[in-house]
Amino acid sequence: MSPTAVPAPILAPEIADPRLYLDGIPHERFARIRAIPGLAWHPYGDNGFWAVTRHADVRAVSRNPTVFSSAIGHTNLWDLEADALEARRSLIDTDAPDHTRLRRMVAGAFTPKNIRRWEDAVREITVELLDIFVAQGGGDWVDMVAAPLPIRVILAMLGVPVADAGYLVELSNYLVEGTGDTQSLPPDAFGNTTELRLLPFNSPASHALFEYGDEMRSKRRAEPRDDLVTHLVEAEAEGGRISRHEYRHLFHLLVFAGNETTRTAISHGAMALAANPDQWQRVLDDPELVEPATEEIIRWATPVLHMRRTAATDCELAGTPIAAGEKLVMWYGSANRDEAVFANPLRFDVGRRTSEHFAFGGGGPHLCLGAFLARLEVSVLLQEMAARRLFLEQLGEPVRVASNFVHGVLSVDMAPGGAS
Amino acid sequence: MSGDLVAVAVEEERCIGGGQCEMLEPEVFLLDDDEAISSVIGSGVLPRPRAEVVVHRCPGAAISIVEHPEASGTDG
Repeated sequence: MSPTAVPAPILAPEIADPRLYLDGIPHERFARIRAIPGLAWHPYGDNGFWAVTRHADVRAVSRNPTVFSSAIGHTNLWDLEADALEARRSLIDTDAPDHTRLRRMVAGAFTPKNIRRWEDAVREITVELLDIFVAQGGGDWVDMVAAPLPIRVILAMLGVPVADAGYLVELSNYLVEGTGDTQSLPPDAFGNTTELRLLPFNSPASHALFEYGDEMRSKRRAEPRDDLVTHLVEAEAEGGRISRHEYRHLFHLLVFAGNETTRTAISHGAMALAANPDQWQRVLDDPELVEPATEEIIRWATPVLHMRRTAATDCELAGTPIAAGEKLVMWYGSANRDEAVFANPLRFDVGRRTSEHFAFGGGGPHLCLGAFLARLEVSVLLQEMAARRLFLEQLGEPVRVASNFVHGVLSVDMAPGGAS
Repeated sequence: MSGDLVAVAVEEERCIGGGQCEMLEPEVFLLDDDEAISSVIGSGVLPRPRAEVVVHRCPGAAISIVEHPEASGTDG
């Protein structure tokens, strides 16, 4: 706890309970925390965390990885035993120089220029999905468009057969469950024999995804191709530029983060366009608004709700003294509704001329690897919807994920309307 | 004045290949295809306000402004 000379911190209202998120991000609670001077303390488990909710503070934490470490503790809320932390360590839970080395293994595939090469492939998949959606008179938008689009694209990049897309989305859904407090899988699902605490998201689905990645590794070792898995396998073979452990976790991360997050963006984007037909009309009237509309959808969705850092040394943030070892949790959905940065932050506005949202992270070295891929997928979707003058009508409430970590939508029914 | 041209430089070891520089100023920065390390291409100069935006947005804090020798000699 804080030394006696320091006044007791103001307590934040509850924001960590996964069930809160069944009704969406608790924006009103976050607005109250943003208004608290300094940082508010949020009890959690045996101790708690500093709730970092303002845009400027999220940026300050993100951009100072030497003080606010990703490697010392877990990057999620709860603490892990040392062996579990090591067993689960991925690119996300590293600092420089490991982070830089691992990131460089895959970053070349995700540069703006190299992502643009996937535009035709993204468009082809998008057209196919939208045509089916319209022909069938709509249905579950997540199942028909939001989930298949990003998983098919990331699998094409990895070199994984598209026939396995459904299985890998299923595994991703189980991983998302692991971020809440209910797991529907038994511990030995998918033949898992590893203790759950040693697996990402405490989920036996992680075991299945590792196994799948190992199978891909064997295939590409035997028969190299021009794809990301081959690239990683060769990096592992060439004098161990990455380890076996690192390969398994990179594969896991690329599949999960490469599909689940953009799925969320496309789901929330569709709901926002359905609820704000005037905003969609603006995009139809002015194709130049596709780019800011894409950024606004990603801000609006904020697919990943938080990341945690751990103070490496005694330090201070927003005037609040922080002791070495204390946790700070950056709440991106709050930073993305910070009235100090965004005018009318609770308004969906496709004409915002800022891309300073923190849906891809708070501007530090852990910036989302797939940011340009996500932008491409959302913008091509908007272009193809616009080409069809496709308005969406939302039927009923979405089924949301009970998670404080992913802003997920399991299903939301949509009907095509307004096509002329 | 705001029209001042400044040169920019990339500190390679700090670059994490986030691509913000190439996104913002594609005529000045290009990431390599292999490890996504940024380098300065072309004239390598930018109006100061735009250079400041790139510096602000670089996730690895790898980009810095170097006063352009020719621009610094121009006071008009």
